[in-house]
Amino acid sequence: MTETLLAVRDLRIAFPGRTGPVEVVHGIDLDLARGEKVALVGESGSGKSVTARAVLRLDPDARLSGRIDLAGVDVLALPARRLREIRGARAGLVFQDPLASLNPVMTIGWQIIQPLVIRGVPKRIARRRAIDLLTRLGVRDAAHRFDDYPHQFSGGMRQRVVIAIAVIAEPALLIADEPTTALDVRVQARVLELLRELAAERDMAVLLITHDLGIVAGFADRAVVMRHGRTVESGPVEEIYARPRHEYTRALLAAVPRIGGDPSRPLAVIGEGETC
Amino acid sequence: MSRARPIERAALVVAVLVAALAVLGPLLAPHDPYAVNLAQSLQGPSAEHWFGTDVNGRDVLSRLLYGARETLPATLVVIAAATLIGTLIGTLAALGGKVLDEVLMRITDIGLSLPSIILALGLAAALGPGLRSAVIALALTWWPGYARLVRTLVREVKDAEYVDAARTLGVSRLRLVFAHILPNALGALYVQTTLDVSAVMLVISGLSFVGVGAQVPSAEWGAMIAAAANNLTNGWWAVVFPGLAIMLTALAYNLVGDWLRVRNDPTLREGAR
Repeated sequence: MTETLLAVRDLRIAFPGRTGPVEVVHGIDLDLARGEKVALVGESGSGKSVTARAVLRLDPDARLSGRIDLAGVDVLALPARRLREIRGARAGLVFQDPLASLNPVMTIGWQIIQPLVIRGVPKRIARRRAIDLLTRLGVRDAAHRFDDYPHQFSGGMRQRVVIAIAVIAEPALLIADEPTTALDVRVQARVLELLRELAAERDMAVLLITHDLGIVAGFADRAVVMRHGRTVESGPVEEIYARPRHEYTRALLAAVPRIGGDPSRPLAVIGEGETC
Repeated sequence: MSRARPIERAALVVAVLVAALAVLGPLLAPHDPYAVNLAQSLQGPSAEHWFGTDVNGRDVLSRLLYGARETLPATLVVIAAATLIGTLIGTLAALGGKVLDEVLMRITDIGLSLPSIILALGLAAALGPGLRSAVIALALTWWPGYARLVRTLVREVKDAEYVDAARTLGVSRLRLVFAHILPNALGALYVQTTLDVSAVMLVISGLSFVGVGAQVPSAEWGAMIAAAANNLTNGWWAVVFPGLAIMLTALAYNLVGDWLRVRNDPTLREGAR
């Protein structure tokens, strides 16, 4: 149908432990087409973040096996010194906590143009592109705020800055690792909307990592549910919501709070044991 | 740019003034700083000798002006060299992996255990006594403290999320260190180095006192105090004015250092939105 952007095959991730390597991801398959929005869902410790970080080989300690193909580049075979070329340019990353992921002593402008500057784009041109992008992301008076520091921005504005940094080099894939967890609900919705608009405008694929099934429905085309380092279910979002096949997915869905639900109802118990 | 508070502005003025006096000293000095005149020995402050005369009848003010040309550059060279070496070693130790860390920190331990006076004595024997030997000896014994400090500071910052975030953008290792890690790590180092200006001045004077630093008839401030200390009761001015010069200069550099640190850390600036 459409061109494949990211193809992950039988990805295994192990970290060195005290008694030898400990495998935390046990063979994951993941596909993203260009412009496609996929949610990688799972509870804390399910392996969703390390899987996403493996796409850019960001954890130097991790031992990766299997195959990761990002826009025709065999990521796992790439020599370490060439990794820099794909980071930021083929895939950008948005982190959970926008304040922690911004350098406190540099202006936001300096940080936004950095991915361009290190690739040889003249500062003046980079600055113009950054201001346009910030304006597009709804930062008012972007030209003036360009020389402000991260602590001078509100949470929602900071996350827009972080998004600008991740997308300014026009990557074909944006990995968003719980991008809204640190934000209040109203700002969450706006940030997701912006991500959706950007994805559509640039034909950019988005891999959204979240534990919150509540935000997946309005955003992603497909969802992949992970648990204990394995895929337990994947498919179109509507299908997963309407007919969750796996008990774990049902339990995750039941954990989403609903308006009108009985507030005294106990939280769904997420069963242990059936996958490990 | 952040606005300097009045006290910091005053400190900046004093720091610049001291440097200017050091440069212009020979033009401003009312008397020959080395001219011995025993008839004028230990005269109190007067219109002729504003800060009095020392036991050899030399004009204290003129000696102070000449002495600034020895004390100030010597101090700054020690601090600059120690900062440079310490930052280099500390950063390499923090980022270079376990083996390098271990090796560099053991070398640092050796450096820390070297007494500067013994090293200065050795250097004085090898190179001849003088301010130069004292400066080299001090620089060689002063950097290990900075190496330790920088190593700790860099280790605190190197795993920060913004460093990781910069890595995801394809930033090179060198740029990570110089644009992301060091600017965030070194705030506490500025404070330490400027505080050390006064300490280094005092140690240089101590080395001069035991005879391996500035030599007679040098007007190095510490040497002046050391020479005049014997006559404190009947010639306080020959001790107090060089002492005040050291104190005022040290205080000014401390305040300037503090101001630099605040200027360097945007979250500490006033008027933050």
